[in-house]
Amino acid sequence: MAERFAVRNISMCTKDCLCLYVCPTGATDTEDSIIDTDKCIGCGECAASCPSAAISMVNKVYPRQQDKEKSVIGALKSLIESKAKQENIAAGLGGTLGMAFEKSNRIMAEDIIREAGYMLPQSENTVRFLKSLLKAELPDDFPKDTVKKLLKLMKNKKK
Amino acid sequence: MAKYECIICGYIYDEVKGIPDSIIQPGTNWKELPSDFICPVCVATKSMFKKAGSSDENAEAEPAFSSHGDMREMSPLELSALCTNLARGCEKQYKFEESALFTELSEYFKSSAIPEENPDYDELMTLIDSDLNEAYPKAFDEAEKAGDRGAKRALVWSEKATKILKSILMRYEREGDKLLENTGVYVCSICGFVYIGNNLPEVCPICKVPNRKFDKIGAR
Repeated sequence: MAERFAVRNISMCTKDCLCLYVCPTGATDTEDSIIDTDKCIGCGECAASCPSAAISMVNKVYPRQQDKEKSVIGALKSLIESKAKQENIAAGLGGTLGMAFEKSNRIMAEDIIREAGYMLPQSENTVRFLKSLLKAELPDDFPKDTVKKLLKLMKNKKK
Repeated sequence: MAKYECIICGYIYDEVKGIPDSIIQPGTNWKELPSDFICPVCVATKSMFKKAGSSDENAEAEPAFSSHGDMREMSPLELSALCTNLARGCEKQYKFEESALFTELSEYFKSSAIPEENPDYDELMTLIDSDLNEAYPKAFDEAEKAGDRGAKRALVWSEKATKILKSILMRYEREGDKLLENTGVYVCSICGFVYIGNNLPEVCPICKVPNRKFDKIGAR
């Protein structure tokens, strides 16, 4: 199986149709404009020929996530904690301004978390995090099955 | 005559030129500008400007903070943000099933957060100030030492977004709900920049993403 597959961003596609000319398997020629991933062999010809840059190649396998220094993670953690607190206060304030602050703080926290070792969903860190959720003492209504499904999906993708 | 630069978006106010097509005439000194002057591009307050060519006013802030080496126990909202981040990561890889599962987990954690008992704006300001005066200098320092440019990137963006939030709180204190009358409120979905106004900048002043990535608050 190919290591990559082609994806078309329909909002950028200007229907130049060069992808149809160059695709060796006909994967790009579909009635719903979605490239057929079963037919796609990942050669990248369509992406290279597309004049509107509407096709990109998506990896199936990703390289190992970059390691992070503990000291950096520690410093980022303080900020993540603060942004989460601010999100909580803003949620309590409500109104347009409260909602904007709630959202803004969430987006900042997400981005800082990404740089604190959680860039890739399929990284070892994420798998460790999911496993820790299964072991943790969480309330009965915690959706353990969701975690199990995720772990299973990640195992399959790794091969 | 001098120039003053907005530390958020880089807009330069030139005393020689003033602001064309506005009431601010050429030759208007920085000091003569009203205290409620806001950046014409990103609407940051006057205090977010520095004299062009001078160093950052926060440069002398002393980092006095002890760091935690490990990921400690996370609060429900931190866990929720971790899961929404991972959901986004899956979405970008066209892994929609995984994305939906991470979203489910994030919603669980969000709903299990204990609401703040007496939320007020002063408390927000206190946390913002402690981020800007302590946590950011400390984090920049560690990222610099480790040569971690990725962390620096996230810090540059969110520090600017935090300064914008401070700007907005200062204006809200002054103007009250009038600040929000007949105006849209938008949040950049990439970096958290908040824009209050009706002339959306073409690209985000902080992360430079096109403005179609902005979400309008309250819109359905």
